[in-house]
Amino acid sequence: MENKKLNEKESLELIARMIRNTHENLETRGGKSMLVNGYTTFLTSIVIYFLVGYTHNPYYHLLWFIIPVVGIIWKYIDKRSHPQKVTTYIDRVVGYVWMVAGIIVWLSACAAFFSVFSMLPILFVVALMINTATIITGLVIKFKALTIGGSAGILLSFSLLIIFGLKSILIFALIFLLCMIIPGHILQYAEKKKRLKSRAYV
Amino acid sequence: MFKELDPLLHSELRLAVMSILISVEEADFVFIKEQTKATSGNLSVQIDKLSKAGYIEITKTFKGKMPQTLCRLTPIGRQAFENYIEALKSYIGNIG
Repeated sequence: MENKKLNEKESLELIARMIRNTHENLETRGGKSMLVNGYTTFLTSIVIYFLVGYTHNPYYHLLWFIIPVVGIIWKYIDKRSHPQKVTTYIDRVVGYVWMVAGIIVWLSACAAFFSVFSMLPILFVVALMINTATIITGLVIKFKALTIGGSAGILLSFSLLIIFGLKSILIFALIFLLCMIIPGHILQYAEKKKRLKSRAYV
Repeated sequence: MFKELDPLLHSELRLAVMSILISVEEADFVFIKEQTKATSGNLSVQIDKLSKAGYIEITKTFKGKMPQTLCRLTPIGRQAFENYIEALKSYIGNIG
């Protein structure tokens, strides 16, 4: 592109074309993040279910804290290896939604484990927060699989108010399968398709 | 009545840069270069002009070990872009 003067019609055409191209070429990598967090939570839940079930040692519940550690490490590695070239207003909104949900989940988990709030139905609180964030993300980025997965997760999370003990851990794992793993795979497939399509036009 | 077109925006590359930045919150120099298919030298000069006019804000940072130049529209730039569109409308309206 040169620095030539444009007539009025060309100016309008250029503005429309640049805005359209920018939106078509935006990179999205949300699917991978959802898969990393979803699989980490799912596998941790299953591992804790079996360890506590067989050993009856409640200290294995401390393994829950692996989830945020893996999430933070993944975020750090992903940011370093794929620096984001463009930030949209949607990125900002989705980022804030997950930041607030993450902080509340983290505080609730600490309160449930290390303080007088040990009666807090922590799996319910975490599932409710994560699924709410998933639904908001789905609505904001207009991705139905996330909205549907999050809604199914919310409905299922209420069962955690009446089901306790080890069974609740399995339900928690199922919730993450519905709200993160399945939508994450669908989202990643859609992102891959979009990338291939945009390369085909180059 | 024709409104005056902002001479700073009435050039292909600068208008393209502003059009990209109007639709995102911030964009990396490399992304803008890919979208406009301009040369680095030319793009740098035009971005500098927009920055000196207060239309865009430039942040130089690092992503890992790689330097990164981020550009974002300022409120003055947004207003100038809106005024430019309004001025264009007056031309197009009068032609139609």
